[in-house]
Amino acid sequence: MSTTANTFGDPRLAAHRSGTAFLGMVIFMGSWAMLFAGLFFAYGIVRAGTHAWPPTDLPTLPIGWPGVATAALALSSVALQGALSQARKNGKRVGTLTLVALAAGVVFLNLQISVWRNLWTLGLRPETGTYASVFYGLTVFHALHVAVGLVALLFLSTQSLRHRYTATAHIPLRLWTLYWHMVGAVWLLMYVLLYLV
Amino acid sequence: MKRLELTLALGLGLCPSVALAAPAPEHGWGLPRNVSLHGGRIDWLINVTTVFVVAMFAATVIWLLWSSVFHGRKHKAEYDHGSAKKQIIKAVLLSLLIFGVVDGNLFFSGMADLNDAFWAFDKAEAAPNAVRVQVNAHQWAWDIRHPGADGKFNTADDIVTFNELHVPTGAPVILQLASTDVIHSFSLPNFRTKQDAIPGNVTRLWFQGTEAGEFEIACAQHCGVNHYKMRGVLVVQTPQDYQAWMEEASKLASRAYDPEDKSAHWGWDWDRKNK
Amino acid sequence: MELQPIHPAPKSFLGRYVFSTDHKVIAKQFLWSGLLFLLFGGLLAMLIRWQWAYPGRSVPVVGQALFAKSNGIITPASYNAVFTMHGLIMIFFAITPILIGCLGNFTIPLMIGARDMAFPRLNMASFWTFVASMCFIVLSFFVQLGSAAAGWTTYPPLSTKIGTPGLGQTFVVVAIFLTGAATIMGAVNYVTTVIRFRAPGMGYMRMPLTVWGLWLTSILNVLFVPVLGAAALLLFLDRVFGTQFFISGAAAVRGGGDPILFQHLFWIFGHPEVYILILPAWGVVADFVSFFSRKPAYWYKGSVIAMIAITVLSAIVYGHHMFTTGMNPMLGKAFMILTLIISAPAELLFLNWLHTIWKGSVRLTATMLFTLGVIFVFALGGLTGIYLATISTDLYLHDTMFVVGHFHLTMAAASFLASFAAIHFWFPKMFGRKLNETLGKAHFWTSLVFITLLFVGQLAVGYAGQPRRLWDPHQYTFVQHLAPLNRWTSYFGFALGLSQLLFIFNFFRNVFAPANAEANPWGVGTLEWTIPSPPPPHNFDVIPTVLRGPHEFANPEVQTMLGRDWVAQNEVLPRDAETPGPSVALARGVKST
Repeated sequence: MSTTANTFGDPRLAAHRSGTAFLGMVIFMGSWAMLFAGLFFAYGIVRAGTHAWPPTDLPTLPIGWPGVATAALALSSVALQGALSQARKNGKRVGTLTLVALAAGVVFLNLQISVWRNLWTLGLRPETGTYASVFYGLTVFHALHVAVGLVALLFLSTQSLRHRYTATAHIPLRLWTLYWHMVGAVWLLMYVLLYLV
Repeated sequence: MKRLELTLALGLGLCPSVALAAPAPEHGWGLPRNVSLHGGRIDWLINVTTVFVVAMFAATVIWLLWSSVFHGRKHKAEYDHGSAKKQIIKAVLLSLLIFGVVDGNLFFSGMADLNDAFWAFDKAEAAPNAVRVQVNAHQWAWDIRHPGADGKFNTADDIVTFNELHVPTGAPVILQLASTDVIHSFSLPNFRTKQDAIPGNVTRLWFQGTEAGEFEIACAQHCGVNHYKMRGVLVVQTPQDYQAWMEEASKLASRAYDPEDKSAHWGWDWDRKNK
Repeated sequence: MELQPIHPAPKSFLGRYVFSTDHKVIAKQFLWSGLLFLLFGGLLAMLIRWQWAYPGRSVPVVGQALFAKSNGIITPASYNAVFTMHGLIMIFFAITPILIGCLGNFTIPLMIGARDMAFPRLNMASFWTFVASMCFIVLSFFVQLGSAAAGWTTYPPLSTKIGTPGLGQTFVVVAIFLTGAATIMGAVNYVTTVIRFRAPGMGYMRMPLTVWGLWLTSILNVLFVPVLGAAALLLFLDRVFGTQFFISGAAAVRGGGDPILFQHLFWIFGHPEVYILILPAWGVVADFVSFFSRKPAYWYKGSVIAMIAITVLSAIVYGHHMFTTGMNPMLGKAFMILTLIISAPAELLFLNWLHTIWKGSVRLTATMLFTLGVIFVFALGGLTGIYLATISTDLYLHDTMFVVGHFHLTMAAASFLASFAAIHFWFPKMFGRKLNETLGKAHFWTSLVFITLLFVGQLAVGYAGQPRRLWDPHQYTFVQHLAPLNRWTSYFGFALGLSQLLFIFNFFRNVFAPANAEANPWGVGTLEWTIPSPPPPHNFDVIPTVLRGPHEFANPEVQTMLGRDWVAQNEVLPRDAETPGPSVALARGVKST
């Protein structure tokens, strides 16, 4: 009977574990992508059925600050990917890069909140019709995922500052990096579809 | 008798609260009477498919019984994976044959039914004697608007009835449906057709009656507490009776017309293309 | 190398039975919850049938307690909640936990030779999320205005505050979202486990068809339950935050949203859901016809291909639920042809079952009877589906009782008979004891007769045009002559309900009794029967090496060597021991591991 101790001793087993966890995450992300596909489908149908998009009597969505937010989220993704590749080669900057990712993520969420607050005070409310419904519905639901990601990043930072992630043991980092890229990709699509076109 | 019917119908159209209309009950376990030009197509397709279905189901049951009884415990099981080329070809061909005959018939007949009848709105619209009616569904009744003699909706001679639709025999009747609150479904069992009424949308339905009489309009889509009561009556009249009804009702409607009463003008412009 | 090392089994009560990560314990937890809600949903069905037999007459025995304000009469408002919750509970809280939660959890690791699921803690989280969801369902009955009443399909605007203002409907929407999350967690686990933890030699084409059915179901769950999640989320926003996604008509602001959008999202999920619920049943049936005919499954590969084809097609036919919404005619016709095409692989699968029984040595155990019962009711249910796939006949039959009869025969009758087959078959492995065969057979015959009469009765009134979901169908003159038929159908329904007592009795008589079952009471070669009943927490002391497919019955070579008509998937035959390497005839295509 094998014990926990020599479980970690077998590098093939560790690789299999990591692979299994990654596969599970990929499947989960596929599922999650379908949820957002459903929401984007709703956006498409609602938009196609609305004559004035955006409505002329409601405040228009800003482009600048959300653009900065997009850049922040992209930076965050890149930093986390950097942290992962550092961990893979037992590098020293895992902790720093994870912190950068966390900070950039916080910047994104702050910008989002200020955009909502501004639009809310200008009179863009969910009950003013489909335009605002789609805007708030999609961005807030996305932001909840960002919030979950930030909690995870906080956890990853504390762990990586203690040098917990090495070339052979970094499953959480690998999984959350995938998650974070997905959150970023969904946001990019949202930025283009909601703000730009 | 004719006279009596006419007076009854007139009374009904104008005093909707008096529910005198009494569609005749159905008998037996079959399909309800078909009183439409195209309903027979559906009946034919249903019946033909039923013959296939019964045959296939009987074959399955016989097969199950036969193998349970004669290939039971005492029977020596054959060592057969059923994966020889011959067996595979046999299985595939058999399922394709069943598919080709049963589903093929359903597909081609179904397409013809839609293209020549149920979804042939262009044909119905093109008929010179086509009757156009607007229906607005709400919890839990049907508001029905005939355009009157001028053929235009939202004018003084519009005949607005409640839960009662008058149509002539021998002419295509085109309905445009809308809803104020939730989704309803305008269903005519004796005409073998139905169409949802959806808020924010105008949908359409057409049919043609072949015999005079009174038939039921059912709401087929669950629409709330009194869904089960959302019943209407379709009064099919001979062209002469229909003409007489319309002239009389239109006259009365014009007299009662109030241009200030905005809520009474819920009709919309008739758009032939619709979709 | 062992991919799943043996962990010490938990000793505390909580760790063993409540917050367990053991797939077998979680399977039992799902079984208990599923059976409990099956009883609940079944009692709601009895109320519906009472209402259709005697519209507006006060319910005997329980009426005064349940509907005190209306003197025991089911009011139209209560009736709407009753049929809505009957549908939702049966689908999401009875069939799903029994066929997927219990059966999937129990059989997948055992049948592929794994020690547990790929993610045991996620598995536990799945069950407890499901429990949270069940709580919302139960709570919804106790708030003002009662539970959800917009139909199980929850079509807006009726399901928005315009149609059902109470908190109950909101709770139910939350419950749907949560149970969806639980299902996805389970499905991610199942899909991954099958990909990563098949025992050496267990190629995809050697998996029992039960595992195939469950695996394909899980793939559909992973892909399409989140779409239901999207629909539930938007509906939740409309109800709670006043958004306008599905609001239209008089209550809309600036033109409002689109009620049909919900139907798209719902059926993009909802049609695959039909197959999600039936694929495990098909897999089980395909295995059992072979096990109890003592004959290999006929054209195993064909059955797998057919199930895959149906899985793929199920994703692109959903529009047939919306033929009467005034959809684009071209789109409607495309959905019609795609739907009809599904019947081709379904026929193939069906023929394979029939061929498997043919020239077998059929043992009519309770399991086999239930299996044959599934074939019987599924034939009826499947065949009545083709009327609804064709737009023109659907224009007449849509939203009638015919639809109700059809989907009850496929989803309810077939799924539950398959569940009972599976429970009888795996009960010894789960609880270490066989269920009583005589009681099982009595339960089968009563269930089959009454379930058939019940749903054929529904088909018959639907054929005559009776719309579904009516508090009093006989308000309509054209339905009035069906009153005796409706009443008789109700009697069959009550008889069906009563006959379930046989199962309850059988179940409770054995579930807590001491274990006495043999390791392999059925003489079947799949891996779960090579270990004791019930299995140890880690399932397999040594991970088995699989040498052959799951249906190796009546092999003459085996018969001469072992003197029996079956051989385990991992059994090393005497000849194999003598000559190095697996036997060529029996282990075609084995890759050495």
